[in-house]
Amino acid sequence: MSNKKPVEGEKRAFLTGNETVAWAALAGGADIMYGYPITPQNQVMHTWSRIIPPYNRKFLQTEDEISAGFANCAGALAGKKSFTATAGPGNALMQEPQSMAEAMRIPAVFIIQQRGGPSSGTVIYSQQELTLTTYGGNGEGWRIVYSVCNHQEIYDYTIKAFNTAWTYRFPTYVMGDGYQAELREALTIYDPEERGIKMVEPQPMVGMPGKPGVDRPPVHLVNIYSLEEELYDVCIKYQMEFDRISGEITESEGKNTENPDVLVIGHGVVFRSIHEAVKEMMKDGLNVGYFRPVTVRPMDVKALRNAVKNAKKVLVAESSLGQLERQIKAYCYGLTTPISGYFLPGMGIVATDIEREVKALLKK
Amino acid sequence: MVQKRPKIPDGWFEDSKPHLFCPGCGYGIIFKAVAQVVDELDIRDRMIYGIDIGCSLLSYNFFNFDTIQTHHGRTTPVIYGVKRAVPEKMCLGIFGDGGGYAIGSQHLVSSALRNEKIFCILANNTVYGMTGGQLAPTTLPDQKTETTPYGKKVEEYGWPMQGPEMIAAIGSKDVYAARGIVSNFRQLKRFVTRGFQNNLDNRGFSFLEVLSCCPTNWRTNAKETWEHLDKVMTKYFKPGEINNPLEQKEGK
Amino acid sequence: MYLRATEEVPITLVDFDLVNPFYTLRPIKDTLENLGLKVIAWGKNTFMGLGEASSLLRSDMLWALHRKGNIVFDVGYGTYGAEIFNLLEDNAEGRLNIFGVVNICKPLTSTVTGIVKYVKEFGKINGIINNSHWGDKTDITIINEGIIIVSEASKILGVPVISTTVEKKLAEKIGPADFMGNPVWPLTLYMGNAYW
Repeated sequence: MSNKKPVEGEKRAFLTGNETVAWAALAGGADIMYGYPITPQNQVMHTWSRIIPPYNRKFLQTEDEISAGFANCAGALAGKKSFTATAGPGNALMQEPQSMAEAMRIPAVFIIQQRGGPSSGTVIYSQQELTLTTYGGNGEGWRIVYSVCNHQEIYDYTIKAFNTAWTYRFPTYVMGDGYQAELREALTIYDPEERGIKMVEPQPMVGMPGKPGVDRPPVHLVNIYSLEEELYDVCIKYQMEFDRISGEITESEGKNTENPDVLVIGHGVVFRSIHEAVKEMMKDGLNVGYFRPVTVRPMDVKALRNAVKNAKKVLVAESSLGQLERQIKAYCYGLTTPISGYFLPGMGIVATDIEREVKALLKK
Repeated sequence: MVQKRPKIPDGWFEDSKPHLFCPGCGYGIIFKAVAQVVDELDIRDRMIYGIDIGCSLLSYNFFNFDTIQTHHGRTTPVIYGVKRAVPEKMCLGIFGDGGGYAIGSQHLVSSALRNEKIFCILANNTVYGMTGGQLAPTTLPDQKTETTPYGKKVEEYGWPMQGPEMIAAIGSKDVYAARGIVSNFRQLKRFVTRGFQNNLDNRGFSFLEVLSCCPTNWRTNAKETWEHLDKVMTKYFKPGEINNPLEQKEGK
Repeated sequence: MYLRATEEVPITLVDFDLVNPFYTLRPIKDTLENLGLKVIAWGKNTFMGLGEASSLLRSDMLWALHRKGNIVFDVGYGTYGAEIFNLLEDNAEGRLNIFGVVNICKPLTSTVTGIVKYVKEFGKINGIINNSHWGDKTDITIINEGIIIVSEASKILGVPVISTTVEKKLAEKIGPADFMGNPVWPLTLYMGNAYW
């Protein structure tokens, strides 16, 4: 790999979310991207394929999302920092390889730019892939998912996703949406090492040096077992590992969570509207607060339950029909705070929407 | 004086005209051939029409046929699913080189192998048109696309896909495999007729690739578009019938 | 070289981005039209309900040069660069003033060499517009840096700097021309309202 650094020091940038993903992956040392066209992530591929030549990184457009996902797993198995990007029906197709990544502890990185669903839905925007991204496939959700809300986060967390994946060996996701993908915003791009971020080196799981059977034992990787007990043991072991590391990786933020009359919960780009609305309402003297999961998987359950317990009422706002609310309710089992939802599937939620809904709740 | 306009085919749904396809798109010619043949064979009452996510998507309300918009690359299994359930139907699918030769290639392989009695028409314009001009399996050597910004390298991505040849190689003698070109309408219409006939005779799978033009993604004016189609594309994709199980021989 | 829309000499904006069309232009199409501009783009209600939202050309976009008045084409990025103008009807040589809008906060055009390379890859242009800004974080330093870098690049490319574009409030602080003598065009920003 070329020694030339794609980003030196700190630089002001004004980019779309998709361009930001590509630059972050480049600065974060990604070796290869596999991809297949699907709106609204295409510009990730366009940008990546355009900027990589001086740095000897690689790109392959595969025949579909299933192969892009499996090739992504393979790149990681071979010891390269590998990523792909998809959306909507492509995300649905990619569940098969994502399950394989969970089963075999493959540190592959997936960028999801949510679009309207189900099926082809719209090419534009939604938050309707939360369930799919956090618990998709035929597994138990051994995935780490960052739900980002602005371009600085897209940059920071795309770099972080590689480090997280290669440290903890679970497939890791940066989940955005079509609005963030296409919007242009100011951010600072930087060389992570110059900022003191320790970049984790990838290690191959197959093809290490030496002759198998002579210099080292051969590696035999499987994702299928013969007996129920074997599978059980693997599931318990990986779940325990996932739970153990959760404390190290969960991220969330909250404001006025000590005793709010209404606590608003949301993730991703909707959080921007929540943040603005809560700020305005607090200025007007209303006792409202918010909780925002940054890792939607694993969820920061402790902080979530504390915030919900202390609130008189909870409002979950999302651009889906309750995918986040369903998870919040499950995590808050046993708490008595009433939880209601404001659902605009596939549509943007603005600050005035949140204000209106919170004020209506306060009146009840 | 009132100018006499050519009659639009009965198979065209008039309410959706003027249509949404880009000026200069080859699909218009393909759809004209299809609708004229359907009218001549008088099979409109049996037609089930499937489309992909790609430019063929824009024909969702183009015809006076019952239409199913499927997923990208999945038109083929949807229309053979209909055919298997209700064999009296005449099942037609139209999609592009991405939907047919990339994500949908396995379905064409299986349809040819199992000799599904459906008709698949594929518009070959060497790019992914609708999503902004990415690489396709049919992209020409050194052709610039949004995912091969420095030109498609044959060492990386291979030579342009020879689709009907592949179908003919996989299928039995009962498979109809041909390649038309929008600049030769009479030949194109003849191929479309034979494609439907092969299904009507309950003989086998019909596959027709059509060399089509996309001035939008080629960034070519009218003159350059026709030149590229007639002189350049035909160097890589030969029009003609690769396998014709019907009695008639190819004329001109 | 201002363009002012009048009855006799109207201004038409054409969304001519074939790779990443600005579907966020939809909500402000009406606003722009109420300001006296004609806009040829897919509007919120006329937009194809289905569609992967790309490269949907309409004939009025290709024939835009036949309209009276001034026509402004917004051409996005795209590996074909200036070849996109091949698509326009009656695109006679010399009829088009092609301006490259450069922002030094885009990594590929953040240095003189970067700008020169990018513009050369695009194709022939007639002038550069210095649109260096950092979104809502723009300050005078960035604008000045942009002026210096873009002016240097323009000398190497042999094309003039047409103007420096600056958001209205900051433009008032700079005045009618920047320190290298380029005219300052104050900008009123509408795209903020275009976000859904």
